[in-house]
Amino acid sequence: MTTVGVRRGATGLTLLGLAGLVGLYWLSFFWVSTEATQGVVQRIFYVHVPAAWTAFLAIGISALCSAVYLWLRDDRLDRAAMCAAEGGIVFATIVLTTGPLWGRIAWGTYWTWEPRLTLTLLLWFIFAGYFMVRSATDDPDKGKRYAAVVAIVGALDIPFIHLSVIWFRSLHPQPVVAKPEGPTLPGDMLTTLMFGLGTFTILFFGFFLFRYALEGLRAEADLRARRSAA
Amino acid sequence: MKLRSPYGRLDRPTGAPRALQLVRVLPVLILLALALLAGPDALSAQQTELPGSRVGEQSLRAYWHVFAAYTIVILLIGGWAVSIARRLRDVEDRLVD
Repeated sequence: MTTVGVRRGATGLTLLGLAGLVGLYWLSFFWVSTEATQGVVQRIFYVHVPAAWTAFLAIGISALCSAVYLWLRDDRLDRAAMCAAEGGIVFATIVLTTGPLWGRIAWGTYWTWEPRLTLTLLLWFIFAGYFMVRSATDDPDKGKRYAAVVAIVGALDIPFIHLSVIWFRSLHPQPVVAKPEGPTLPGDMLTTLMFGLGTFTILFFGFFLFRYALEGLRAEADLRARRSAA
Repeated sequence: MKLRSPYGRLDRPTGAPRALQLVRVLPVLILLALALLAGPDALSAQQTELPGSRVGEQSLRAYWHVFAAYTIVILLIGGWAVSIARRLRDVEDRLVD
């Protein structure tokens, strides 16, 4: 696909995602019912959980592209991995900032070193390290290879984050959707959550494509600069 | 400049007066359509809300936390969009030079 084609797709997805975000805010504030025990603060759930899902998706894509990059050594895969990792960092930051706001009301504290929170913070640091490793070497190819390994190791943290609330004694609520017996949320809450998941996923892919087009143009600009220098 | 007719009424420019009227009415129609679409569901959703005594227990702080969380989402996503747009413009400038 050409850069123009990628940007056209990115524009469409981003506009759709932004419209979805407006819809999600409307559903969250005016449509969905208030949860009986937690009250109004439970509405943070409709941005916190979709952000977590999108962060895991982005990091999964980054790890997959990194693994294939290590095999094929195709620079386009490295670019895709980096763009997805950037999205992963943004959405993980949303998770790590909205969660404590809920925790302050529900638990009485912004932060506690319980397994899921700690592992999510670890994931954020691993992917912050991903960008540091990329630029830490003199040889760019070496930086790409090291970063690919970091992305794969970071993604291995995701199953532990999901299962930590089941394996360990945890303050964090148990899963209410991704569980063997199916979702246990009331209909309007599940609808709002699913709408949020769709919206955040579309937004991520829109920005991801923009970011990928940007890296394509940057590679072209670097190539032209090298040619003119030679 | 507004034109005044011999009868003292303001004349509209000879553009598309019906289209202008439609543009004025359109937001109201959209809001009405949204209210009609969401009305019954929203009503049934609100019926399952907290009983009156529990509503009073909701502290104002919880609302602030919800608004802060939703604002953070807008700021981070908006910040990412602005950051991508700036970098894209810089690279395009480099390519033009």
